[in-house]
Amino acid sequence: MQTTVLTFKESGMRAPLDPRTSLYSILIISMIMIGGSLSGVEYWLRFGCCILPLVLLLAMRNLRFAMVYFGLYAFAMLMEGTIIQLTEGFFNLILVMIAGLISRFLAPMVMGYCMMQYTTVSEFIAAMERMHVPQAITIPMSVMFRFFPTISEENSAITEAMRMRRVNGTQRGLMKRMEYELVPVLMSTVRIADELSQASLTKGLGGHVKRTHICEVGLRWQDYLLLLLLTAALVLFMVY
Amino acid sequence: MIEIKNVSFAYRVSDAEGKPVLRSAVKDLNLTIHGGEFIVLTGSSGCGKTTVCRLINGLIPHYFEGERQGEVLIEGTDVAKEPIYDTARLVGSVFQNPRSQFFNVDTTSELAFSAENQGRDPEKIRQDIDKASDMMGLSPLLNRSMFKLSGGEKQKIACGTVAVADPSIIVLDEPSSNLDLNGIEELRKTLYLWKSQGKTVVIAEHRLFFLRELADRLLLFEDGRIAKQFSGEEFSRLSAEETSRLGIRSVGLPEFAGHTLCTAPIDHTITLEGMEFSYADKLHGIKIPALTLPQGEIIAIIGHNGAGKSTFARTLCGLNKKAKGVVHWNGKTVPASKMLGYCYMIMQDVNHQLFTESVLEEILLSIPESYPSDEREDRAREALRLLDMESFADMHPMALSGGQKQRVAIASGIAAEKEIILLDEPTSGLDYGHMRQVADVLRMLKENGKTVLVITHDLELIACCADHILHLENGMLHANYPVSRAAIFGPIQGGNF
Repeated sequence: MQTTVLTFKESGMRAPLDPRTSLYSILIISMIMIGGSLSGVEYWLRFGCCILPLVLLLAMRNLRFAMVYFGLYAFAMLMEGTIIQLTEGFFNLILVMIAGLISRFLAPMVMGYCMMQYTTVSEFIAAMERMHVPQAITIPMSVMFRFFPTISEENSAITEAMRMRRVNGTQRGLMKRMEYELVPVLMSTVRIADELSQASLTKGLGGHVKRTHICEVGLRWQDYLLLLLLTAALVLFMVY
Repeated sequence: MIEIKNVSFAYRVSDAEGKPVLRSAVKDLNLTIHGGEFIVLTGSSGCGKTTVCRLINGLIPHYFEGERQGEVLIEGTDVAKEPIYDTARLVGSVFQNPRSQFFNVDTTSELAFSAENQGRDPEKIRQDIDKASDMMGLSPLLNRSMFKLSGGEKQKIACGTVAVADPSIIVLDEPSSNLDLNGIEELRKTLYLWKSQGKTVVIAEHRLFFLRELADRLLLFEDGRIAKQFSGEEFSRLSAEETSRLGIRSVGLPEFAGHTLCTAPIDHTITLEGMEFSYADKLHGIKIPALTLPQGEIIAIIGHNGAGKSTFARTLCGLNKKAKGVVHWNGKTVPASKMLGYCYMIMQDVNHQLFTESVLEEILLSIPESYPSDEREDRAREALRLLDMESFADMHPMALSGGQKQRVAIASGIAAEKEIILLDEPTSGLDYGHMRQVADVLRMLKENGKTVLVITHDLELIACCADHILHLENGMLHANYPVSRAAIFGPIQGGNF
């Protein structure tokens, strides 16, 4: 159930890419995919950028997702490349919108998803600390992603209780329904957050000593290669 | 050595109008705990035992606000004057709720977390994790998602995190509340290991049976003071009558009669036929071809964690839409997927099922639409009266105590005119007095003609009120037998499930 929820990697081997490389890729891919035009050098840059998440999905053996991703991009590129020129009017408008949304936003989002899938909370914190990001930013961020699965667990229990009490429909109005659902979710997440802060304090989080990490973070050849390629892409993107 | 000298503490809390008030928790407490001692703190809810844990691990005064007098010295330094992350090096803590005490999403990072915060050498931490895994049997849990572990496994990781950090003092606040007997046995082994390593252990608990051979001293708290002290020897010899008089849970476990199959004719029965449900992973689920249960009695559903007890209850309630099977009773035949109209479940975390702004509104919400509007309030009040909750009618449900919330939920089940009431672990984390109260409520439901099914690991609750036991294992029926009253107070031994 939790696999569909946005959170950091839950187990397994070391990430294929350093979190810093991943963050840099998300940044560059977003710039190029969202801001790039559909012709010339930029067309090829965008093409390259949407390949990277596909390679990562395949490397993670997430075949089904990779196929969907490939299908969506094939569709969007086909639309942008040819069919948009062949249609007109309202139909054309719809196609431009759909194809544009997919081709511009899907790659950065999937890149973000991939990073979450292969990075653990501690790898993320460790990498942020190497970049001298203060704990005041890294800790809330990592707690936030630990919280998404918790909220989803709480929410499914509450939805079930609503079904049992026959208040899951909207017969009493949408506002009432939202209130019934949101109040217990908020109450229980606040309680869990409170207990979590207590536990973290007694585990010595937030001390002045420099934290150490058992996870290995560090740039390897694939990181350097990717950083080089992305920077080259950025330079090309800026120049043209 | 821990020295608590003339300590009084009152929490700063908000009253019903939101004004800050002080709620006294411990008064003039004097307690010296020597290195290597194993101390058990017990007493009813609100007696101050949790406060003692918080005084030792520094959450008081560094997290909880209030007024503190006196001093708490650990190896000679006052906890209040040290930053809490320095106290964390000396004192490890394990809490009640396994779901809310992990910071990481994966188990191995969590084990390393405390030690990492202290800035230890990563190579040393990795060795310590290996060492702790060997001693505590954590290897199968390494490199896994915290969210996919059972409560007992999560609690084991919480203990593992403490073991890796290796402090000399360990404080545990009701660690067994959410555990089944297997989980408790694992916890007992860990505690035994720590005792043999010479660690100072302070544990606040309601359930005492697993601490019998470990405790050096048992302190019974009442109203923020130590009311009685027992040596380890005296503690293990407390009889059932004595513990019941002291208002604490028993030192031994009741044992039940063997698996005599239910052959005696029962006048009214609930019969399940071909009940089947499996989760998307095809590995877990339940399969019960035929089952007869006595109608109008209190039936305890037992079995290990993961035996399918909750799935069974949810299926019987009609919460699993895709479940197969039918239920017959009173000449009715209802498919399992339509049982929602007849069943009501009180969830383990009762906060999940209270939605409205007042207790009365909560009950009104449950009254069937068919009632004319002028009768609805009377009916709601009547349901509340049955549970002694009428005086709380105008309060916000979230302002009630855990036990009161549970009663409101039960009252709304009665108001909904459901015939079968299911309860999921209604006594987890409850002290002796509250456990007895739950047993009384269950008997009251029975007297009002309801069939009560209660999922529980609490043998004392079963001994108090159950008429019948349904034992599930691996999603299948393991045994189904009436409780033989005579056998309950027989020889005191470890349970058989």
